[in-house]
Amino acid sequence: MNSDDTKLGALLRESRVSPALPPRFQENVWRRIEANAVPAKSDSWLDALAALVLRPRFAYATIIALVMAGALLGAHQGAQLAKQDAQARYVALVAPNALR
Amino acid sequence: MNRSLIVVLGTLALSAAVFAGSYFIGQRAGVIYCANPADDLSWLRTEFHLNDAEMARVRQLHESYLPQCARMCTLIAAKKAEIRAALASGTNVTADAQGKLTELGEFRAQCQGQMLRHFIAVSQAMPPEQGRRYLAEMEKITLGSHEEIEQSMSDHPGHEHGTN
Repeated sequence: MNSDDTKLGALLRESRVSPALPPRFQENVWRRIEANAVPAKSDSWLDALAALVLRPRFAYATIIALVMAGALLGAHQGAQLAKQDAQARYVALVAPNALR
Repeated sequence: MNRSLIVVLGTLALSAAVFAGSYFIGQRAGVIYCANPADDLSWLRTEFHLNDAEMARVRQLHESYLPQCARMCTLIAAKKAEIRAALASGTNVTADAQGKLTELGEFRAQCQGQMLRHFIAVSQAMPPEQGRRYLAEMEKITLGSHEEIEQSMSDHPGHEHGTN
């Protein structure tokens, strides 16, 4: 190989155009990978359930539902307790135990 | 124990803990938000939806009733102490103890009458429908327990009251 060939090779390498990636290329690649991903076959219903609860979307939804249900039920119960307490205080004032 | 079982059991335990924690916090918040320990009449306002004018009238009735109620309570407590002293001295119900029991019954009847008159006055200071509800509730609380006791006594075989 003579020096002209070497120069020519270097020139060709420099002139190679590397096209710019389209916008959101990486995100689209991952989306296609996820879309084509085949879910792992579960061996039993327990494995399927475990796989389900480990899904972040399912886990977040469940936690939110549990927190809301617990808080609402607790608040309702708390309001009932406060009402019973207020009623007991009033009754104790106006109707002594000796008469009841 | 396989991994899936551990995951499912762990998830159940975590879910129970999250629910219990939320329930407890919600309950405390509900009690704190709804309770008004400074006002003994707060139950009337919330339960019977009373406005400020109705509450002022009810409060006035309540304040005037309390000294009467306290006086009757003092009389009843004193009479009960007398009965205990009369019964402590012997094994029989003496004529004196029987007389005091009768007086105690009269005091209780007077007190109940006074109490019912107060409930009626309070019910009349409320809107008609709420007043009826209040009166029914108070009669149930104050007189209902006697009915339960009497009912339980008549339920016992060979212990019928008021039957021939």
